[in-house]
Amino acid sequence: MAFDISTLDLDAIERREAAKNKGTALKLVAAIGFALLWIVPFYFLAISIFKSSNEYSRNPPLALPEGLAPFWDNVARAWELGSMGQAMMNSAFYGTVGASLAVFFAAMAAFAITRLDIPFRNGWFILIFAGTVFPFQMYLIPLFFGYQKLGLLNSHMGMLLFYTAICVPFPTLVLRNFMSGLSREMDEAARMDGANEFTVFFRIILPNTIGPMTAVFLLQFTWIWNDMLFSTVLGNRLETRSIMNALLVFQGSYSSIGPNIVLTAALLASLPSIVLFFLLRRHFMQGLQVQQS
Amino acid sequence: MKLKGKLMGTAVGILLAAAPAFAQEVQLFHDKGFWSEQLQTVGDAAGEATGVTITETPYANAEQYKAFVQASIASGETPDMFTWWTGATFAELVSSGQIAPLDDLWAEMIANGGYGEASKELFMVDGQAYAVPLLLARWVVLYNKPLYAELGLEEPQSWDDLIANADAIVAAGETPFLATVHEGWRGFIWFQELLLRMHPEAYNGLNDGSVAYDGPEVRAVFEAWSDMYAKGYFSDPRSTEEFNDYVRGAGAMYLIGEWAAGLVVEAGVPADDLGVFIMPNAVEGAPAAVIVEGAPLVVSVDGAQDENVMQALRFWVSDEGANAWGEATGNYIGNNSAEAPNAIVAEVNADIAQTGATAYLRWWEAVPPDLQGELVAEMNRFMLDPTMETADEVMATMQSLNAAYWADQ
Amino acid sequence: MDRAAKDKALLDRIGIDQIARNQRARRRGQLGLGLVFMAPALIMVVGVLLVPVLFNIWLSFTKWRKFTGFGEYAGFANYERMPSNPFFNEALINTAIWVGASVVFPIALGLGMAMFFRNLRGAETFKNIIFIPRILAPTAVGVLWFYVYAPDGLLNRGLGLVSGRDVDIGWLYNDATVTPAIIATFVWQTAGLVMVLLLLGLAAIPKDPIEAAHIDGANRWQIFRYITLPLLMPTLLMVTILSVLAGFTVFDLLWVMGANYPGQRSLALAVFMYFEAFQKGSWAFGSAVAVIIGLVVLCVTWFQTVLQARVDRMTR
Repeated sequence: MAFDISTLDLDAIERREAAKNKGTALKLVAAIGFALLWIVPFYFLAISIFKSSNEYSRNPPLALPEGLAPFWDNVARAWELGSMGQAMMNSAFYGTVGASLAVFFAAMAAFAITRLDIPFRNGWFILIFAGTVFPFQMYLIPLFFGYQKLGLLNSHMGMLLFYTAICVPFPTLVLRNFMSGLSREMDEAARMDGANEFTVFFRIILPNTIGPMTAVFLLQFTWIWNDMLFSTVLGNRLETRSIMNALLVFQGSYSSIGPNIVLTAALLASLPSIVLFFLLRRHFMQGLQVQQS
Repeated sequence: MKLKGKLMGTAVGILLAAAPAFAQEVQLFHDKGFWSEQLQTVGDAAGEATGVTITETPYANAEQYKAFVQASIASGETPDMFTWWTGATFAELVSSGQIAPLDDLWAEMIANGGYGEASKELFMVDGQAYAVPLLLARWVVLYNKPLYAELGLEEPQSWDDLIANADAIVAAGETPFLATVHEGWRGFIWFQELLLRMHPEAYNGLNDGSVAYDGPEVRAVFEAWSDMYAKGYFSDPRSTEEFNDYVRGAGAMYLIGEWAAGLVVEAGVPADDLGVFIMPNAVEGAPAAVIVEGAPLVVSVDGAQDENVMQALRFWVSDEGANAWGEATGNYIGNNSAEAPNAIVAEVNADIAQTGATAYLRWWEAVPPDLQGELVAEMNRFMLDPTMETADEVMATMQSLNAAYWADQ
Repeated sequence: MDRAAKDKALLDRIGIDQIARNQRARRRGQLGLGLVFMAPALIMVVGVLLVPVLFNIWLSFTKWRKFTGFGEYAGFANYERMPSNPFFNEALINTAIWVGASVVFPIALGLGMAMFFRNLRGAETFKNIIFIPRILAPTAVGVLWFYVYAPDGLLNRGLGLVSGRDVDIGWLYNDATVTPAIIATFVWQTAGLVMVLLLLGLAAIPKDPIEAAHIDGANRWQIFRYITLPLLMPTLLMVTILSVLAGFTVFDLLWVMGANYPGQRSLALAVFMYFEAFQKGSWAFGSAVAVIIGLVVLCVTWFQTVLQARVDRMTR
């Protein structure tokens, strides 16, 4: 649309632009300030791990550390006294195996619900999804006594069984939604060629579902890694403890050796999550999108 | 590659499964994770001396441990050897019928000269002994010898002496007593001690329902306690590092179990700087008394039939075992023919021998287990806000819980 | 041959039983195969999750005797104990506070931050910074903030610097401050997720209505209120559902940060249940509390599912 430039009040426009820029600049400053305030606890964590116990209690919390040397001592003591090595191995095992199995089982179930001709499709789905409807508190006592009776208490298999089971319902929801959206042409073509359902599942559906499967795997892995309650109740002993359980025990029994060491333990326990997040940020965000649908 | 891995895994698995069959070992379940290493030292010593190794198996916290033991017993698989608590909860455990009586073993122990009848009493229910000591700790006052010397103070022989010492310490700009609410159980320490010193006749009645938590005796305790807080006698109750606090001089005197002596020395106090005395009575002429904590080591009925378990137990109570344990932790188990684990214990033993102090069971064990958590929480609440107002609320709450419990019995 | 004769011939050939069988087979479809695929998931969920729930409900109607076990029927005795238990009542009130706070604050803050950061330079970096607390375990966050709130810790020192006086508030030790303090930590941890979800929702809103309103002279607030907000409803609703459930099941933070608080057992129903069952050994009473928690969660979930269906219908 053509219009006469001479009718524009250039001064006013310039003033408005300047105001908008200043507004944006102010906003940016405010945003930076807000973000800085938001991460002050992390800053506190970062400098505390470099302090010795005496330094920590002597100086103010935000004082810079006097040297970097105490860090290794803190790490060594936290690692040893908190038995972090064993706990991390446990959690890594539970997380990778448990989440993988759960996602795989969920994919199988989603396939049956969306692609096979079965009665009461929705009913089966609701049965599986009912696993997430109840709050955790309702599982605690029965599982504790049940495991005790079956000898599964404080066993790796017992913990793995629980983690896998609890991580099945949500991926089933996500994968069901995703698979319903997959076009049916490929399966139909394969079936025409005489492929049986297993082939269709493994050769066609699964490869096309890798994206959402990875996203939910990450979410469930994180959940398992972060779990503290079920490890405390079902797998408390040293051999089967999860990492967050170990951290809890460490803070409970050993807080008297100094906050700096306990904070170091908290950092160590969280490192894998942080690393995972930065490496796979894209998949995490994708996971949020599937969570939204 | 995959197949080889599977074969390796199977081989390792078989080896691991077969391993226990080679060594004789007995598992000792407990919830005192901070003594894991030390327990294992004794366990290994047992292995060397008798061929039966005791393998300590820790549980992370007291609740989980209690739950585990209760559930195991309920399903008929009582652990062979485990630790527990004395007092009312011990009676409960014994009434399950799954714990073996150990009268014969005690007869041996007393005959060998190391143990006294008094120690046995702590572990008796209905006239029979059901446990041996894991530790026998008197609750005493550890104090800062150098500070005492500097201010010219002596170990208090009477309550007035104690208060005078406290005033002198306050005047010098230090804090007399160290006490926190850390870990949620410590509130009863000063409560029980003040009650015993001020109204020994009411001490036992508190835990059989005859003395009320809002009665005159308990009120007197809270008044004195509140007064002491008002005079600045106590350190910050919110601290989470009691041992470190003691090392840093946050309190000149530390009312705690004997077992803390070893831990405090480990945290950095030179052993020579640590002194000990038993809290004096506030009532003139009252007989000497000391609060004792006994942690029992029990064996199941099945375990008592097992040669290995009984051998391990015998080693534990022997001089050798007591020495190993005492050396590792500074804990005393009542075996007087063994070496005293450290100077603190030796001095306390001498003190008690001289004054003939009567042993009173710790409140923590004597209180009915159902009330324990809720009552101690109220005592913690008082420590965090030590006014008489709070004390009134606290006493009312404690008594209502107490009365409700005894009404149900 | 006419129709009737043809049909008769067909029936004679195949037989009516066979036809009935075929019909049934077609209705069953691939159920057998379907069950094979669904078996692992079904076994896991039913065996490890659903059966325990039923067991829990049964337990809540029994009485537990220490060391001898369950089995003694007690009717509603456990449920009748609840109203007269002061700790239960306080826990109930605190749980209600948590649910309210966990909906209002993260959403308010998340929405505010979403609108604020949306068109800013470097929005990605801000998003990541605000979001990072979410990936940490609640246990680790609890440990960190335990020391932030310590009497000689970060918050008191910071307040002291700002106000010039010595600040010595026992945040996690006073009745009045303990729940708000832990709620603040919870908001710190979850606002980032809410913000990201809302940003996704905002991104999905078409620009045309907004531009049209702009041209018509509507100011920013009016645009937000009458256009953005309604279109954001589905996302907001989903976020609300997630927040409510999160508020109900908060445990780790309360467990770690409330460890030295005398009234820890009344911080929330979930914590109360743990204390009763695992610390006092009142297993049956604990299961009854768990059932109560479950009932409330189910009601809330059902209510919000209905609401979501309504909103879906409206926005279509």
